[in-house]
Amino acid sequence: MLHAAAWLVWLIAAVSVVSMTRNPLYLTLALAAFMTTVHVIRRPGETYAAPLAPGRFALFVIPLAALINALLSRVGETILVAIPQPWPLIGGPITAEALVYGALNGLLLTAFFVAFAVLNLAVPIRDLIRFIPRAFYPVAVVASIAVTFAPTTLRQMQQIREAQAIRGHRMRRLRDWLPLFMPLLTGGLERALQLAEAMASRGFAGETVTAHPGRAQVVSIVGLLGVLSGGLLTAWQQASWGWVLIVGGSAAIAVALWLTGRSVPHTTYRRAPWGYREWLVTGGALVALAGFLCWGGATRIYNPYPVLTWPAFDTLAGTALLGFLLPALVVE
Amino acid sequence: MRRLLRALIYALTTAIGLLAFLYPVIMSGQAVNTPLLLAFVVGLSFVALLLEVQGDAANAKFVALLGILTAMNAALRFAEVAIPGPGGFSPVFFLIIVTGYVYGGRFGFLLGALTLLVSALITGGVGPWLPYQMLTAGWVGLSSPLLRPLARWLRAEGRWAEIVLLASFGLGWGLLYGALLNLSSWAFIVGPGAPMPATLRETLRLYGAFYVTTSLLWDLARGLGNVALMLAFGAPTLRALRRFRKRFNFTYRLQEA
Repeated sequence: MLHAAAWLVWLIAAVSVVSMTRNPLYLTLALAAFMTTVHVIRRPGETYAAPLAPGRFALFVIPLAALINALLSRVGETILVAIPQPWPLIGGPITAEALVYGALNGLLLTAFFVAFAVLNLAVPIRDLIRFIPRAFYPVAVVASIAVTFAPTTLRQMQQIREAQAIRGHRMRRLRDWLPLFMPLLTGGLERALQLAEAMASRGFAGETVTAHPGRAQVVSIVGLLGVLSGGLLTAWQQASWGWVLIVGGSAAIAVALWLTGRSVPHTTYRRAPWGYREWLVTGGALVALAGFLCWGGATRIYNPYPVLTWPAFDTLAGTALLGFLLPALVVE
Repeated sequence: MRRLLRALIYALTTAIGLLAFLYPVIMSGQAVNTPLLLAFVVGLSFVALLLEVQGDAANAKFVALLGILTAMNAALRFAEVAIPGPGGFSPVFFLIIVTGYVYGGRFGFLLGALTLLVSALITGGVGPWLPYQMLTAGWVGLSSPLLRPLARWLRAEGRWAEIVLLASFGLGWGLLYGALLNLSSWAFIVGPGAPMPATLRETLRLYGAFYVTTSLLWDLARGLGNVALMLAFGAPTLRALRRFRKRFNFTYRLQEA
């Protein structure tokens, strides 16, 4: 089990590399590295919890993105099919370049998806909740209550269903779900009352802490104003000033977070160990990012318009991407 | 003063959120090369809004109620992932709308945002799409108390008309949720550096094509699903929530020694 922060560094590096490139060769290579990691860290016999396994996601998204882009952008020299112009919405030429470009977008999305799938698989839910900043203490409490009680709710749903089935209740129409839904809801509300009493008797929120001190409120308003005006300025072609304002506004919101978090008392009971494996994983990811930035250069961008060409490939940059494979090597 | 600051935060975050969602449309004539930046800005305005809204979650009753209802809604979403309904139908919006309506906008916002967060944690769906989903689902709950004055004006409280009002609200949000999330995924799917149309009109035509081809049916299923749930379960749920609001309305007082 690796330290959660090591996975976070890995994820940030992976997402930055993927979002910086648009070259199908690099993307495929990175995707292969991520897929290998998913395959290695998934425990045998464990079913994949996410709605879509990565392979199925790719099969669904890549053709969809290709189709959408082919319908949306009618640029490019190699015309595959010409749909009659007067047809509403879909009329016009379908070009190979647009198809390829759309498929590239799909590939990019798949790489994103798989990188996040690695995080979801590798880090336990408790540690994911621990990533919630200290300023959001109430939110983190609610999230952990919800995560704790979600399996109970599912079990209760099962029990109510069995009880109603024994009584001869049959599910035919939507309204037949009412005798299932209402006990679930009222039972949940009763449980909430009990939980509230238990929490109050253990002294939860016994002392009144102003969860949002006035100063933090003002600072975050200043930050929001900065981000809003910055966004408007970039839209109105004043990009450099806009960027300054956006960065300043984000910094102000970060300060507001810090101000709020400061007032929340906090105890650490156990520190997760950080050993050589963590160093290897973070080091590998950072080397991959740095190497890709350093040697990727012009080959990072690939544009299929106006005529399809074979994408360029830099061996060093491609090798650097293998740094993302380190978790697969060191996780036992 | 506090109320003014609060209103200012709501207004600003809504404006930023709308700007980020509409960015691809505003930027017609230029390449959009910032989908990640947009996700970041949406996340930022969500953070500021959450920081403001969570101030209410400082007592045990609010936290426990919110936690349990979030667990319930996340479990419903889990069931939905396991047994996919037709199209974009999702049972989570029903509870978000009704609790927002009864327990207030801040409760609704937190329930909406946290439902999406917790179900993403449970099903392994954490990703760059999460801030958009959380913010939009939060808006659903935040906006539903806006119906209250309307219901009062129509003298609809506790009557059939109230359910009809909530159902049409659910239909509207079902469609709007899809349209807003499309705008966010549009930047990703169309991708950075793609040649964008030169005029706003052309962009809107393209977006129309994108919308009709990808999600109109999907969103309709979601909206109509909300209507069906509201008509079937709305009245008893409202009654139960109102009853429990009375039961939750107590305070602990220290015994004077």
